[in-house]
Amino acid sequence: MINRRQILAGAAALTGTLAAPMVRAQGKPRVVVVGGGAGGATAAKYIAKDSQGAIKVTLVEPKDTFTTCFHSNLYLGGFKSFDEITHRYDKLASAYGIRHVRQWATAVDRSKREIVLADGSRLGYDRLVLAPGIDLKYDSVPGWGKDAEEVMPHAWLAGPQTQLLRRQLDAVKDGGVIVMIAPPNPFRCPPGPYERVSMMAHQLKASGRTRAKIFVLDPKESFSKQGLFQQGWERHYPGMVEWIGPKVHDGIKSVDPKTMTVTTGFETYRDCALVNVIPAQSAGRIARDAGLANASGYCPIDPESMKSTLDPAIFIIGDASIAGDMPKSGFSANSQAKVAAMAIRGELTNSRTFPARYANTCWSLIAPDDTVKVGGRYEPKPDKITAAETFISKTDETAEYRRQVQQENIGWYAGIVADMFT
Amino acid sequence: MSERRFLSRHARAIGLSGIAALLALASMAPAWGEKHRPRGDAAFGEYLSSLCVTCHQASGQATAGIPPIVAWPEDQFIAVMHSYRDKQRENIVMQNIAAPLSDEEIAALAAYFGGLAIRPKIQ
Ligand SMILES: Cc1cc2nc3c(=O)[nH]c(=O)nc-3n(C[C@H](O)[C@H](O)[C@H](O)COP(=O)(O)OP(=O)(O)OC[C@H]3O[C@@H](n4cnc5c(N)ncnc54)[C@H](O)[C@@H]3O)c2cc1C
Repeated sequence: MINRRQILAGAAALTGTLAAPMVRAQGKPRVVVVGGGAGGATAAKYIAKDSQGAIKVTLVEPKDTFTTCFHSNLYLGGFKSFDEITHRYDKLASAYGIRHVRQWATAVDRSKREIVLADGSRLGYDRLVLAPGIDLKYDSVPGWGKDAEEVMPHAWLAGPQTQLLRRQLDAVKDGGVIVMIAPPNPFRCPPGPYERVSMMAHQLKASGRTRAKIFVLDPKESFSKQGLFQQGWERHYPGMVEWIGPKVHDGIKSVDPKTMTVTTGFETYRDCALVNVIPAQSAGRIARDAGLANASGYCPIDPESMKSTLDPAIFIIGDASIAGDMPKSGFSANSQAKVAAMAIRGELTNSRTFPARYANTCWSLIAPDDTVKVGGRYEPKPDKITAAETFISKTDETAEYRRQVQQENIGWYAGIVADMFT
Repeated sequence: MSERRFLSRHARAIGLSGIAALLALASMAPAWGEKHRPRGDAAFGEYLSSLCVTCHQASGQATAGIPPIVAWPEDQFIAVMHSYRDKQRENIVMQNIAAPLSDEEIAALAAYFGGLAIRPKIQ
């Protein structure tokens, strides 16, 4: 006997489409996506697109526009305008019928399968996608906190903070001291702090402020693409960047926003012209409050589907998830969103699904037309998402090759934002 | 007419309204499947394509550094992907993406992207 699923799968194959809707008698199945970033926008779009109207998709995201953290360092370096890294959500509604609810979700009522919104109203779901990104741990750097972020910006959530950091950078005088406090693992965008240092140095150099100096105080013994970045700093910005690991600085003891002082176990930096504090991080609060995170502060998932290991009706994607070997990046979040979207579509419409595949590439701009990349392919294994094959740029690449890699970086950005928002 | 277009038109002509029609269709499939089987499974290709469109525009538009891959002849698409998989063609990202793809998967991608039309640039 041929069962209904096989027939539907056969029909899908014939029409060359993934959609094989099996509409419930009570109405369409409902998916709520919380967070409209790299993970959430992609998930909402793919669920709506591939189910062709068979699933009702609601995106809960308070913002009207989304400014990407990716390429926010290029904004800092003067390579992109703020408008170029800011995108609208309207196509998700007009092209895919997604309802955009402009509110914060304040809680998940898991037993009722409902989301509570800031205005107290509730949204029911059959499947929930949580893609809230990260929260900053404001208490992870002594002396710093929410009330200090206007003086010592983090700029690790893109928006006004990113613009503030740029204004502060523009105001640094030649000879000024800049301190970046880098974050401990695991954090959003492993090469991000070091690309940022490169872009700061580029701005200083391009405006003749080559006596300014950037100290990077790192709680980690090593960092992503370290050899490539350090070679680039020596080549393009000699004497302008000093990376200091924990064995040397012996711990970041405190910062004082009033006097712009940073104190380590080894040295004190006074009268700093700019202090960029990138604190420790965790999964966005909504996911932690819902009891979906473990002791690490991030959310465990099933590597085959991105489904929470703690609630079968909830999928967690992007920076909030524990994605094994995958770094926390926009590319990763986009890749995970597609796996989750497929699994959800399969569960709700009984349509065809395929084995999960994940990929990531992170490009980093060190200086004009000098770009490096790191990336890989990942597979679900029973215990975690596991790297199958990875690659990284080499230190001896030609200038022409590095220029081509920057072109790829520009093209990738255009690609991912088109994939998320159009 | 491409085999894919033939099949989708055929499916539409029969109509997918009822289980009876579907059953009839399913029982027919093996008979004419021999002759008209598409070379690549476009639905599978559509899923796999989600890996590609993080960088390549689904609209088929070219962007800096990332070539368009929509509406290529299927044979050429297959040949190019094989040359990345065999590490003949340079580009570490593409070699990495192509490495695990089977012949069937490459054919599925070729069928899916080959069947798309280039869309005007969205502002
Ligand atoms: C400086 C910097 C450079 C980077 N460069 C790159 C790069 O080059 N390439 C790359 O791939 N990645 C890069 N990244 C990383 C990338 O930005 C993140 O990994 C990615 O955005 C994660 O996606 P996400 O969907 O998990 O979270 P986000 O993109 O942060 O989206 C989360 C969204 O959820 C919303 N939200 C949160 N809580 C709620 C709630 N309770 N209710 C409703 N909405 C909520 C937020 O408003 C936000 O819009 C960079 C990051 C930084 C900081």
